Amino acid sequence: MSKIHHDRTHHAKKATNIGDPQCFKGEAGAPKFKVGDRVRVKDLPDLFYTRTQTYPRGVVGTVTVLVYESPAPEDEAWDNTDKSEWFYSVKFRQKDIWPDYHDLYANDTLETELSERWLEKA
Amino acid sequence: MSDKHKPQPMVDEVSDFEILEMAVRELAIEKGLFSADDHRRWTEYVHTLGPVPAARLVAKAWLDPEYKKLAVTDGVKASLAVGVDWINSPPTGFGTPSDYCNLRVLEDTPKLKHVVVCTLCSCYPRPILGQSPEWYRTPNYRRRLVRWPRQVLAEFGLQLSPEVEIRVADSNQKTRYIVLPVRPAGTEGWTEDQLTEIVTRDCLIGVAVPKPGVTTNAKRPVHPAVHPVHHDH
Repeated sequence: MSKIHHDRTHHAKKATNIGDPQCFKGEAGAPKFKVGDRVRVKDLPDLFYTRTQTYPRGVVGTVTVLVYESPAPEDEAWDNTDKSEWFYSVKFRQKDIWPDYHDLYANDTLETELSERWLEKA
Repeated sequence: MSDKHKPQPMVDEVSDFEILEMAVRELAIEKGLFSADDHRRWTEYVHTLGPVPAARLVAKAWLDPEYKKLAVTDGVKASLAVGVDWINSPPTGFGTPSDYCNLRVLEDTPKLKHVVVCTLCSCYPRPILGQSPEWYRTPNYRRRLVRWPRQVLAEFGLQLSPEVEIRVADSNQKTRYIVLPVRPAGTEGWTEDQLTEIVTRDCLIGVAVPKPGVTTNAKRPVHPAVHPVHHDH
């Protein structure tokens, strides 16, 4: 029986002299959202690994930048890097995240990144 | 030796994460992914990094509107002008999972103040800022900054009026952030070197704002001891 060989340096080979996330550029296809779109963060299950915090889930925010394409961390954590998706920087009003955030500071905001699978049109 | 005089262990406490790091490192070395000497070399390299290049980036952006435009649109490219190559920097040659190659420079205005945190762990733009301060990695800072940014900033001595929008950047994915603060009054006509000196690490994280005269190498007041020790000899 031949030994199954997994090349553990494939990421290094792909990213060297290109950079990560630059090495995934062009792999995600057409982005679903554009700058200025209102989006809601889905509350997806995250049994094994995620980088989507709990606090923005269900909250509506505004897309500020289409930042890069990359495999989602939920896949990349398991070395599944064959499917990239768009990442969006999304700005939320603090008041929308924390309902008891003081009205005096209603202008305060928070910006964080979410991959496309976590977002839906609001 | 009696039981009462047992020697204390050399290391009395090792955290789970330290054990995990050692286990993963040793496995990686055994598998030939890198050698122990590679690991030592990389560790030595990252400890040579500091916040000075980022401070210079800010000073350049204050002086040159074209460079500022480049900095806020392409932080990785702008970093080259201050000697930081995110893509080809030695010794890895590519972004490690803890320093991906996507830098965003967040521009403050008189009405907008950015402050950076990583709530999930302690992501930090190490190629351009060096190692993060201890407090940046604490659960206390990470949990509280997103929820009570004004209170946390006040603890750092930075109190901002309600008219100023505070924007917390939570560095949860592959982007790393530095803050481009507003150039303070009293710095008119200053050179790039002078401006670089007042952009300290905390100004780049966003928990402080630059002030003329406040630099990391500033002379601190020396207070005489209340009960000085007198030497007879």
